[in-house]
Amino acid sequence: MLLDFALPAHDRKLIPEGRLSGPMPWVIAIILFLTLLVAASGLTLAHAAQQGGQDLARQFTVQIIVTDPFERAAKRAEVTQYLRQVDGIRSVEPLSDASVRKLIEPVLGADILDADIPVPALIDVRFVHAQAQANLRTLRASLRRIAPDVRLDPHSAWMAPFYRLMHMLLVLAGTVFLLLMAATSAVVILAVRSTLNTHRGTLEIMHLMGGTDLQAARLFQRRVALDALWGGFVGFCAAAFVMATLSDQLAAAEPSLLAGVAFPVYGWIILALIPLAVTALAMLMARFTVISALKKML
Amino acid sequence: MRFVPFLALMQSVVEFDNVGLRYGTGAETLTDLSFTLYPGSFYFMTGASGAGKTSLLKLLYLAHRPSRGAIRIFGHDAITLPRNRLPGFRRRIGVVFQDFRLVPHLSTFDNIALPLRIAGIAERELRGPVAEMLAWIGLSERADARPAMLSGGEQQRVAIARAVIGRPEILVADEPTGNVDPEMALRLLQLFSALNKLGTTVVVATHDIHLLRDVEGAQMMRLDNGRLSDPTGSLRYPPKPLVLRN
Ligand SMILES: Nc1ncnc2c1ncn2[C@@H]1O[C@H](COP(=O)(O)OP(=O)(O)O)[C@@H](O)[C@H]1O
Ligand SMILES: [Mg+2]
Repeated sequence: MLLDFALPAHDRKLIPEGRLSGPMPWVIAIILFLTLLVAASGLTLAHAAQQGGQDLARQFTVQIIVTDPFERAAKRAEVTQYLRQVDGIRSVEPLSDASVRKLIEPVLGADILDADIPVPALIDVRFVHAQAQANLRTLRASLRRIAPDVRLDPHSAWMAPFYRLMHMLLVLAGTVFLLLMAATSAVVILAVRSTLNTHRGTLEIMHLMGGTDLQAARLFQRRVALDALWGGFVGFCAAAFVMATLSDQLAAAEPSLLAGVAFPVYGWIILALIPLAVTALAMLMARFTVISALKKML
Repeated sequence: MRFVPFLALMQSVVEFDNVGLRYGTGAETLTDLSFTLYPGSFYFMTGASGAGKTSLLKLLYLAHRPSRGAIRIFGHDAITLPRNRLPGFRRRIGVVFQDFRLVPHLSTFDNIALPLRIAGIAERELRGPVAEMLAWIGLSERADARPAMLSGGEQQRVAIARAVIGRPEILVADEPTGNVDPEMALRLLQLFSALNKLGTTVVVATHDIHLLRDVEGAQMMRLDNGRLSDPTGSLRYPPKPLVLRN
């Protein structure tokens, strides 16, 4: 049905298509530009969250709380040794007391730490794969046999508030995207109606001269599709330009800060599909509107 | 060889049987219309303004269905004809609307070519006939002009050319002489008459009874308040030619 787009040249003359019909293509361009930007941010967020989430799901911290510094060092060595021979663990990095102090200092303040507060022993553990809960439970039980006061904390637990924020932003982006798509559809419907009103006389004449509903539908479909395609193209180019500029700026910024922020390749495909989907929607709407208008005539 | 009686060849083009038309819930606009139109005949339909001429023509060119009664066009029951077969019938009927209804964004050439394009005739096959038609109405030089750039009389000629280009079996014209001077009116009637001689059934609605003198052999139907009023009943089956001459 969308193939009806290709009309014989002489049929195309029946509805003028040289110039754009009014402000509608521009409105479609603007609203699609916004839609595409929101979609791009959403895709970037989702991509970053997924990448980061996979990394974090493999990272754990083992914490041993023992007051006596010598015993603490002994337990740390023992647990480290045990962990090193467990299958599926890529790396085990015990942190010295000094580096743990450095980590905690900004949180508790140097004064309190100087007052000889015991610091926990920390061991950084990276698994090859993300771990199932059951595995973690067995591992915890084994570690407790070595050191009763041991804790095994996933990094993702610290990151939970950050992920909740990301999740909220994603839901927000999705909602705004859906609202903008609804607005786009409304604009498309208005564009179809205005095209229909502009050419109602032509439509009636064609009808009375024995034009079929399909002939008229094809003409309108084409007219509206050209507007939507044009608007979609302009909106897409504008959005792509903004994204290219932004990604240059990101690359120039502190690399480690935004290392995970990148726009995935599949994102471009999704972005390109959006204007095409809007065009297809416009064609369907045009067809539906024209045929239902004609059905009211005999 | 078998002998075919002449009357059997004279199959009707249009038959109205007890047709009534009601817009909405009001009184009937057209009441008890029964008549037959024969191929190659020329009919004038007269009646005061508001008598129902345009309404009757709309039934004839399949823009409306009647509220009651039966209509046969080209030997088919127009009432029960499925909607998807109507375009084929409409292509056999040429219409000159009272207000011309030219397509404003199309040139004179494209307006006249419209029925042929709708019928799917190839571009190279329609160029010749349209040029011929342009010459016939004396507008060859204005082939590229939009309707807005044409005078009223020129627009009318374009409307007529568009109605006849497809060699319709029925030509319906609604007050085609309404807004033109008597000389142009006469010219238009000669045009219709020429077409009629080629075999087209012509129906011209007019409130100007004097036109009847200008076409030899034309018959008259008179509408009065939505009823066919002919004191002699001569327009019932079969219509008796009503010939007026000056
Ligand atoms: N679409 C319509 N809806 C309602 N009434 C109509 C419509 N068209 C015509 N009429 C009424 O039908 C009557 C006949 O109108 P019309 O057929 O235009 O007469 P004529 O062409 O002889 O002047 C008039 O009273 C007119 O008001
Ligand atoms: Mg009228």
